[in-house]
Amino acid sequence: MSEMQIRPMTLNFGPQHPAAHGVLRLVLEMDGEVIERADAHVGLLHRGTEKLIEQKTYLQALPYFDRLDYVSPMNQEHAWALSIEKALNIEVPKRAQYIRVLYCEIGRILNHVLNLTTFAIDVGAMTPLLWGFEERETLMEFYERACGARLHAAYFRPGGVHQDLPDGLCDDILKWADKFPEFINDLETLLTDNRIFKQRTVNIGVTTREEALDYGLTGPCLRATGVPWDLRKSQPYDAYAEMDFDVPIGKTGDCYARYLVRIEEMRQSLRIIRQAIENMPEGPVLATNNKVTPPRRSDMKNSMEALIHHFKLYTEGFHVPEGESYTAVEAPKGEFGVYLVADGTNKPYRARLRAPGYYFMAAVDYLCRGHMLADSVAIIGSLDIVFGEIDR
Amino acid sequence: MTLGKLDLNTPIPQGNDQDMILNAVTDEIANRGFVIAKADKLFNWARTGSLWPMTFGLACCAVEMIHAASSRYDMDRYGMLFRPSPRQSDVMIVAGTLTNKMAPALRRVYDQMPEPRWVLSMGSCANGGGYYHYSYAVVRGCDRIVPVDVYVPGCPPTAEALIYGLLQLQKKIKRTSTIARG
Amino acid sequence: MEQATLTDALSFEALLPHLGGMIEDADHKGGELVIRCSTDNIIEVLTILRDEADFAFDQLTDLTAVDYPNRPYRFELVYQLLSITHNRRMRVLVALPEGEVAPSVLPVFNSANWAEREVWDMFGIFFAGHPDLRRLLTDYGFEGHPLRKDFPTTGYVEVRYDDTQRRVVYEPVHLTQEYRDFDFLSPWEGVQNDIEDNAADQEEQGA
Repeated sequence: MSEMQIRPMTLNFGPQHPAAHGVLRLVLEMDGEVIERADAHVGLLHRGTEKLIEQKTYLQALPYFDRLDYVSPMNQEHAWALSIEKALNIEVPKRAQYIRVLYCEIGRILNHVLNLTTFAIDVGAMTPLLWGFEERETLMEFYERACGARLHAAYFRPGGVHQDLPDGLCDDILKWADKFPEFINDLETLLTDNRIFKQRTVNIGVTTREEALDYGLTGPCLRATGVPWDLRKSQPYDAYAEMDFDVPIGKTGDCYARYLVRIEEMRQSLRIIRQAIENMPEGPVLATNNKVTPPRRSDMKNSMEALIHHFKLYTEGFHVPEGESYTAVEAPKGEFGVYLVADGTNKPYRARLRAPGYYFMAAVDYLCRGHMLADSVAIIGSLDIVFGEIDR
Repeated sequence: MTLGKLDLNTPIPQGNDQDMILNAVTDEIANRGFVIAKADKLFNWARTGSLWPMTFGLACCAVEMIHAASSRYDMDRYGMLFRPSPRQSDVMIVAGTLTNKMAPALRRVYDQMPEPRWVLSMGSCANGGGYYHYSYAVVRGCDRIVPVDVYVPGCPPTAEALIYGLLQLQKKIKRTSTIARG
Repeated sequence: MEQATLTDALSFEALLPHLGGMIEDADHKGGELVIRCSTDNIIEVLTILRDEADFAFDQLTDLTAVDYPNRPYRFELVYQLLSITHNRRMRVLVALPEGEVAPSVLPVFNSANWAEREVWDMFGIFFAGHPDLRRLLTDYGFEGHPLRKDFPTTGYVEVRYDDTQRRVVYEPVHLTQEYRDFDFLSPWEGVQNDIEDNAADQEEQGA
């Protein structure tokens, strides 16, 4: 019998698929059940954020950062606030730094809870979601109490945070932090030793250290390959230098290792949350440089100068001196960077947003090759993909 | 009290009156084996009691949509179960920014839904472009692509707001008097 | 703000023995070394920066471009490098005029794959040697390169479902309300002085 060349079957996955975590469209070339090539079509949520930022003043552009990775909004704002502070060379009050660290870690837990539980759904477990989303509700209440919004906070501002925390919030966060390890333990009993879960994740989507670096993976996906690289430790920003925490790493670099790293990161985040609350100093939460930060409402009632500053800041905005800078933060998904080119006016000349998920998505082709169709869902779930930041 | 005189458009408050009607219905079934009701009212009652939305999250609002469906707000109480397939669903929640690239796919999914079908536009991006209105890549309102029944404002609307929007949709369905919806 | 534990930025002198003839300009910005080179030797520069143990830049964190319509070399490609071994960042800038082709750095760093596709999509810079240079983020059949400064924010086309044709159709943009671009660029002396003061302070501290 002569050999026949069979054209691989093309399978379209998405854009409306419950396991696509948004609007991913994958065109898979299949050899039977084995993926030969995965061509990801992204951009189905491309909103032109980078172009819009060029049209807005620096402060008006800040809420766009919430809407990038909408699972952990404040971490993105942090990068924008830091990059403006770097360009303007302003000092952030200590209390504001602690509040930012506190809320970044809450954001990290928000992100990991959503990722781990939806990942569990993707591989067949429903219960974690129902438990995890109750925790997310509690955390969103903390968001709401600090800034008034459940999701899109616009809380971190250049020079600090918008307003001080209300009374009693820190106590409630501490109370929640005492209970939360119970949830992590429950989650672990459901998944960590679960036979089905392990069969779906162990040895699936393996990367080595070198490949992970080469493909631009950062965050938990890089740490799962055994690289102890965390920007909070290696290039600390704000008050992270004063926090005592460990950087968990995985050994195998597969989906299971990524899961384990995220579980441990939640525990470390809790440590940081406790330290941030316990060591939080008193004082102002916004730099007192009136050319950049708005005056307090009470000042505006009495001082003409404050009123003028307020008017100027919310119409013209502040000017950022010419120059370019790259600022990166450790967002829950990995390195979120802002390359800001300022031309001395009140609007950014160019703002490039380096989203960690973008590089994960680019690596999906390489990770999926040779795996079964069902594994692609596990790989996408474990990479922690959110389309707001990939498509921008 | 006979059932024929009931005005089904106004809800009956809990209490003796409601109990009497319910008892009358049960007696009727026990005695005669059937009750008589208007077909359209019955259909609308059934439709409002099992609105199955489709899991179709586009952007940020999808997070709030999942929150509305999961433990705390628990949309299942209203008979709303998320269905992953357009063929099984009655209502599409456009949750998030609709982009030019996504628009044909959204329309195709809408076309696959069986009649009667409803669309709920969630959040300012779906309502009219919102924060991204002036972008080159965004559809300025999902009503340019699909007919919308209920708009829920907010960026994003809270899970409560979404549920309120769905209850408004139920009211709207109850007011419909034709069986087929054109 | 100074990042305390970041290792001292790479000095320009350290690069010279390896990259002597290829660097056009070098500068220190915010604790990072920024060098310029040309399109001809970008691959060589990146390879040396990756492979030499003194530099060991193991990750191309990001690749993007900036559009300066008034410059003779209109576009500037920006390569962000990260060394995990030495905990350092560095930036390589490459200027190129409109219409010129840049070499793809995909053989050096795999992370350049989608980054180059995006730059092609957004700026229309062609990368020679890229195996799959298709548009990535914009719509299927999109025309123009949105992040160029001469591309209008609102674009040229918008979509609408047409009931008679029973499909989504593209039409020229019609805005019911124009984008209100207020000109707030009045000179505000206050901040200018403030910036100059800050710069002066910095120089004093540095000296």
